[in-house]
Amino acid sequence: MDVDKDTNVSGVELTEAENELYDRQIRLWGLESQKRLRTANILISGLNGLGAEITKNIILSGVNMVKLHDDKLITEEDFCSQFLAARESLGSNRAEASLTRARALNPMVDISADTQPLKEKSSDFFKQFNVVVISGESNKELQRIDSICQELGIKFYATDVWGMFGFHYASLQKHSYVENVFKHKCISKPNEKVKYETISTPRQCEVEYPTYINWIDFDITAPKYARKLKRDGPGILLLRILQVFRSEHKRDPSYKTRESDITLLKKIRDEVLPNSSLSNEALELLFAQISPAVAVVGGVVAQEIIKVVTKMEAPHRNLFIFNPETCIGYVETIGVR
Amino acid sequence: MAAAIDGVLPATLQEFVKKSKVLVVGAGGIGCEVLKNLVLSGFTEIEIIDLDTIDLSNLNRQFLFHREHVGKSKARVARESALSFNPDAKITAYHDSVTSTDYGVNFFKKFDVVLSALDNRAARNHVNRMCLNADVPLIESGTSGYNGQVELIKRGLTQCYECTPKEKQRTFPGCTIRNTPSEPIHCIVWAKHLFNQLFGESVEDEDISPDAADPEALEATEGKDKAAEDDKEKNNDKEKNDKEKDNEKDSSNSNGNVVRINTRQWAKDCNYDADKLFNKFFNEDINYLLRMSNLWKSRKAPVPVQWDTLLPGGASSDATELARQHHKVWTVEECAHVFANALKELSAAFLKLEGSDTLVWDKDDQPAMDFVAACANVRSHIFDIERKSRFEIKSMAGNIIPAIATTNAITAGISVIRVFSVLQARWEQCKAVYARLRLNGRNQILVADAFFPPPNPNCYVCASDPAITLRIDTKRVQIKAFRDEVLIKTLNMVNPDLTVESTGSILISSEDGETECNEEKLLSEMNIVDGVILKCDDFFQNYELSIIIAHFDAEREDVLFEVIADKNQLQPKEEAKIPEPVVTEPSTRKRAANGTDATADDGPSTSKRSRPTEIKDDDDDEDCVVVEDEDDDFEEVVSAATDKLTVESPQKLVTKRKPSTISDVDEEITEILDSSDEELAGPTKCKRTKLEEPQPATSGVEVINID
Repeated sequence: MDVDKDTNVSGVELTEAENELYDRQIRLWGLESQKRLRTANILISGLNGLGAEITKNIILSGVNMVKLHDDKLITEEDFCSQFLAARESLGSNRAEASLTRARALNPMVDISADTQPLKEKSSDFFKQFNVVVISGESNKELQRIDSICQELGIKFYATDVWGMFGFHYASLQKHSYVENVFKHKCISKPNEKVKYETISTPRQCEVEYPTYINWIDFDITAPKYARKLKRDGPGILLLRILQVFRSEHKRDPSYKTRESDITLLKKIRDEVLPNSSLSNEALELLFAQISPAVAVVGGVVAQEIIKVVTKMEAPHRNLFIFNPETCIGYVETIGVR
Repeated sequence: MAAAIDGVLPATLQEFVKKSKVLVVGAGGIGCEVLKNLVLSGFTEIEIIDLDTIDLSNLNRQFLFHREHVGKSKARVARESALSFNPDAKITAYHDSVTSTDYGVNFFKKFDVVLSALDNRAARNHVNRMCLNADVPLIESGTSGYNGQVELIKRGLTQCYECTPKEKQRTFPGCTIRNTPSEPIHCIVWAKHLFNQLFGESVEDEDISPDAADPEALEATEGKDKAAEDDKEKNNDKEKNDKEKDNEKDSSNSNGNVVRINTRQWAKDCNYDADKLFNKFFNEDINYLLRMSNLWKSRKAPVPVQWDTLLPGGASSDATELARQHHKVWTVEECAHVFANALKELSAAFLKLEGSDTLVWDKDDQPAMDFVAACANVRSHIFDIERKSRFEIKSMAGNIIPAIATTNAITAGISVIRVFSVLQARWEQCKAVYARLRLNGRNQILVADAFFPPPNPNCYVCASDPAITLRIDTKRVQIKAFRDEVLIKTLNMVNPDLTVESTGSILISSEDGETECNEEKLLSEMNIVDGVILKCDDFFQNYELSIIIAHFDAEREDVLFEVIADKNQLQPKEEAKIPEPVVTEPSTRKRAANGTDATADDGPSTSKRSRPTEIKDDDDDEDCVVVEDEDDDFEEVVSAATDKLTVESPQKLVTKRKPSTISDVDEEITEILDSSDEELAGPTKCKRTKLEEPQPATSGVEVINID
């Protein structure tokens, strides 16, 4: 039972203020995890509602540094879920508009903004981070950044929410973590009432995570996949449709052109997978980013980042889909033969 | 504010969001998140209620609050912060208890939906009843660590919050605490009682002194009849004489134990000398226990420790550095230092109090926590039990439920998504959802029930004519205790009236002063004996309940009453005495329920029922009751004990239970389901699945062959 002895946190000591502030979470994931969080640097690119949710959760957890990155401006639509930007910030840069409230969440975290377009960012920029989280980008750009992260050994997350539907994809290369294994041991004596004790033992695991291109290349129309698609629902199909929409139209469906965009979505649906079970109704809930759904996906993504940073528990491998109708969130493993 | 922008939401949903009135009960971890989601979705009529104020340890997740808000009202600060997200919302904040009579059924009727984000069972039970009565759909939520849960409660459609048995509180028999501890928690409970004996409010059942006589010797030689009882008394008297040597002017209470108040006086008389107190608790009392040889026949005997031997140079004057090492397991010597220093601080604070005021133990009060950590560890050392760090002891002693931002965000998100469905009356979309740490057998991390579990026909809250059987020692319970412990604390009523069914005479009145004279009377003195049926009515909750009395003679260590929701549960243990109405002659005298006492809010939940799927909200729920030892035969027993000793430790890695019956989602262990089992019928079934062997290391992640 050799447990990964990470040397880089052995010198870290939490201050009394940190111990107090993080008390309730240290009781859950332990001191070692909290120290690991303390050394983590995270990039959040895309300060839409989802970016704001992830940012909030990550800052509250007590990481070392968070970089808020966006070159877009705050629009009316952002006020459906982007609570880090004040009303007055309409028209200003989304990352910069989020700074004040982000910092107020936890003064112990180093938070800064960057407004240079992602396209202009080279591998030098990404080096400083342990985890990179990107939303609102095209598959092409996501793939480019994932490759950079591969080279640098950085953990990569692509995530998005359209209306009430959302996903994340984890590209973590080789990831090692510890998980607790529970076993039952009978502790009662022969003549007594049977009693068991649950014993937890840590176990070291190492798992390979497929790159993002595996999702781009993934064929959801394959007959072999049909049974799974039927069982888990059409969420994965919806993701494909929305990403096709984004690359074809260089934008997401807009509430301003609601009806015509729904028509466009239906068209893509029927092209991608004719006779699918994806209902018209599901296409009604894909506009802007709706706060409660963003909270769910943003909460899941932030928890995944925490798992990755603390090396505790298995991160989702690798595609997570949230179905707002049932509120079921499930994970599919893409790209593993 | 999604609903304020045309085209974002489908038109019907947009209308509902714009015009609906929503009540949020609780502005803690889930409440903050819910409020944010509501204002951003475009709800404009929101009311929020919370009686709590902001604490530093809330700030890692209750993101509407910042450092400068510590000490202020949660509801009010949450309102201010949420308004900055959407200045167009109308939010009314109440810094108040939801069980206050200001919020009656008519208050609840104002709302289209209620979201409860509470951290304790008493308030949850109350909100459940109010929503059932007002016929308002309730979205009930809770989190604990990585686990979260959201469920709809709607009259006639779903189970109510009280339909399912609640998780049992972990409880310990008093004699284990006093004489034969075997786990760290026993020593921690003992240390808290010691604190109360020296500085806190006197509680009769919290005596820390060893039993006066060997309880196991008595058991062996005596029957349970009255004569034996008398012997016991005599025996105790004799033993008591031995104890006089301990320089205590002991008197004996009816249980034969040393009356605690004398320990307090004695400690004061010797000026809280650390040396003397330490030796009494950890040497003399232990030596006394050792004399009861029966106790140690099958147990390892304790080894007393002595102050002079541990600390030949006396206690260091400053142990504050030491006490700050929260994660270190202190040595016994270090514990003695911490003990001495904490004793000094506590006694100084105690002596400054006026009149009969006492200190209140609080996990966040440094010397109080130091004292308990040190004493628990010294006692653990004596009994050869593993010692714990101050940090771990605080978890157990303070019953702290770990809480993180992400679980709260996910849970609150699901709650508000459910609100959307509720407003559109899409009930089939409102099945309960659980957030988990690990994937289930179908690779789900957010799991939904496959169906609505039907209401429990025996539920003593939502059944059409609810009734319970109450096993109670009518010769030992007074009317006042019946009201406070049974009706208010256990059955969660707020301001009950109690009458005898056959005669209509009033035992307890909700009107001030009407039945005061009954308060000190025993039930039996009021002719409330086996078989009598009582009618209880809480006008405020609009809740009526029949209570069938089943008398039993409680043993000393027994709880004095148990609520049995399902009559069939009575059979195995009792010759079911189904009431053949006894002729009663109830008093016509009046008695009063003290109106001011009547708010049960935040009182510890004393329920022994277990609600398999329940989880609490993140806050520091002080729910902690020590009742009798685990009694697995009585799953349906809802009950309280007079013996409020204990603590439930929320985060134990070592839990005792039967693996084959694990059905709760709020235990880490249920997370390990065999993920290779793909063909389970549905999520509900998955949850109830028997625990399988954990997956082998290589399949830490399930691989689905897709291509």
